[in-house]
Amino acid sequence: MSTSVTKQEVSTLLSSRRRGRLESLPYLLVLPSLALICLIELYPFVTGFYYSLKSGSLLNTGEFVGLGNYIRLWSMPDFIHALYFSALFAFFAVFGSYLVGLGLALVLARDVPGKGFFRVALLIPWIIPSIVSITSWRWLIQDQHGSVNVFLSWFGLGPYYFLSSEHLAMLSVIVIKIWRSFPFMMVSLIAALQTIDQSLYEAAAIDGAGRWATFRYVTLPHIKTISVVMWILMTIWSVNDFDTPWLLTQGGPSNATENLIVLAYRYTFAGNMVGIGTAIAFTMLVILAVLSILILRYQERED
Amino acid sequence: MSTYNGVSRRKFLKMSSAVGLAIALGGGLSACGSPSAPTPSATQVGGGATSGGSSPVRLDFWDMVWGPPEYIQTAKDLVKQFNDEHKSIQVNYRSIPWNNWYQTFTTAIGAGTAPDISTGAGYQAVQFYDSGAILPVDEVIEEWRKSGELEDFVPGSVDILKYDGHYVALPWAIDIRIPWYRTDMFEKAGVKEPTNWDELRAALKQLTGNGKYGMVASNDTGGTHYLYFFILNNGGGIFTKDRKLDWMNPRNVEAIKYLSSLVKDGSVSPASAGYSGDDASKAFGRGEAALKIDGPGFDQGFPADTAKKMAILPPIKGPHGDLGTVYWINNIMLYKQTKDPEATMEFLKWWSKNQKPLWTKGHNGQLPARKSFASDPYFKNDPRLSFINDKWVSVGKTVATHAPSIFPQLNAVEGQGVMQTLIQDILQGKDPVESMQKAEPQLKAIMGES
Repeated sequence: MSTSVTKQEVSTLLSSRRRGRLESLPYLLVLPSLALICLIELYPFVTGFYYSLKSGSLLNTGEFVGLGNYIRLWSMPDFIHALYFSALFAFFAVFGSYLVGLGLALVLARDVPGKGFFRVALLIPWIIPSIVSITSWRWLIQDQHGSVNVFLSWFGLGPYYFLSSEHLAMLSVIVIKIWRSFPFMMVSLIAALQTIDQSLYEAAAIDGAGRWATFRYVTLPHIKTISVVMWILMTIWSVNDFDTPWLLTQGGPSNATENLIVLAYRYTFAGNMVGIGTAIAFTMLVILAVLSILILRYQERED
Repeated sequence: MSTYNGVSRRKFLKMSSAVGLAIALGGGLSACGSPSAPTPSATQVGGGATSGGSSPVRLDFWDMVWGPPEYIQTAKDLVKQFNDEHKSIQVNYRSIPWNNWYQTFTTAIGAGTAPDISTGAGYQAVQFYDSGAILPVDEVIEEWRKSGELEDFVPGSVDILKYDGHYVALPWAIDIRIPWYRTDMFEKAGVKEPTNWDELRAALKQLTGNGKYGMVASNDTGGTHYLYFFILNNGGGIFTKDRKLDWMNPRNVEAIKYLSSLVKDGSVSPASAGYSGDDASKAFGRGEAALKIDGPGFDQGFPADTAKKMAILPPIKGPHGDLGTVYWINNIMLYKQTKDPEATMEFLKWWSKNQKPLWTKGHNGQLPARKSFASDPYFKNDPRLSFINDKWVSVGKTVATHAPSIFPQLNAVEGQGVMQTLIQDILQGKDPVESMQKAEPQLKAIMGES
């Protein structure tokens, strides 16, 4: 058996090493990002879940209570109400913003005068920082001197104290959420509408389809996929929306506008009950994950 | 189409519906609360004051923002004065904003970077003491008891801070709630200063009309002070002497019913349930409401011409002849993480004795806990401050009433939202007894009695 190595063998060996290096290169390149994600996302996630299994405060880790915090949630009236309001808030926010966004998108996708201006101008509610827009809304509606009540008084109506009664406050929070959200729906739907082949509309017209039939059988199928995506996103953003209820009402009056994320904040930071606060957050996660999967499966079946 | 659908499903199953959300929710909260045992890490450089080393002891002093901008500068000047007088101890002053103050302190304690000494919110010392972070000041109290220095403090203010057999902090200021009223509105309506609840009710009714209201409140913690004000004014209290919940006692119920009756009279601005404290103050400043319960420095937030039209009612008698309002003894506390307790206590004593400029120059919005400061011309020559000192401080009571001193659960009682929900219920005109009954299980849970 010869111990000498031929040039060809060396070359083969090197190339196999090179091949190995090349194959592992993508993994090596991904590694720093992966480590960073684990550090800043996975670690807090796992730690957060661990805290939800304990009865700790912001200063003490507390005792291990297993699923005790999760079980306790379902006997807490404020959690049940927050769950109800989160569902209500998300439903109307998605439904309302989609309807407004779709209506405007259908108009602005056409050749209407001032189309460019309106497309930009109608984005303003989406662009303005929430602290600015919601604080402005507070001033507009909170008492008899707010512009909305001044306007209503011209017609002999009001004053209405929109933030001082539970039902009006709930309505106000939802309406303002719709106002903040419709531009996203509008822009996405305009983009979707522009991808529809115009020849389909021409064919529908030749077939004698009316406006509703054209919308029902041409437009709607083509924007359905993007619509489902937007519904899911808007549901998640609505359930997670801290800014709108907090800046407008701080969850009041009498907890009427307190959604799950505000409740989680209140328990964690005002009540110093980290276990309950994180349990609320993780319950939200499960509910949203299940909801998203159900919607996606439904869409898959429809397709 | 199918390709598009496939991609979108994967994206959303991966990105939106699970991991991203979980991290945003769970991780976001968990990252804020990372409890761990405190570890010592005070900023000592070289030898301590008592060790005779050449390098001075360095102390960190965290002070909350207790007044207008000149307060911070005055506090810094005072610290500089201390540093000049004590070459072996050098104090670093840091002003701490009230926003997220609790997180600021808990994070620092958890990370082992707590200050050596700090001022803080009313229940901060007992809360942190319960978590093992506070160094009691028993020896300072004992020393001052012997020397008579303790006599200089407002009666009861020192013992209010005794918890678990230890003095957990030293009082330095008093925050108190008093009824401010607009003299112009009272004069215009021909209303005299009410002296009891019946007169107050009649006055508020008389002041209401033409879009203006007798009283304005708010839906936040400032609004809850109205609850404490009337409960304590009526000789009520939320706790027994041994710190048990005593929520539905007749005096408390009577007080809340009275407050509710003012709302039902239409004498309280209907916007109150939606107002923040600032909103309510602005409504008062605009002359839309004649009375607001607020702190001693309330008038400082208004232009001079508005402030001129403001005055303070004298203590009002409840239906059983009781007087009272709510007050908080703000305190200065030491942290166990300090490496040189002796130097820190030296600074504490110096600060307590020399902090009068915080009022006279810094215009601190509260009242001093030391009687000698309160007798300074700064207070005596100010008719409002002297009026509060003379008439109101002596009838002040804590939220802990009838317990003799404060305890950690008070922070949750005041801050967790139970009382906010109650005042919002009352301001919306809901049944007061039902609202109180609704609050009771939550209060019991806070007290660990459920």
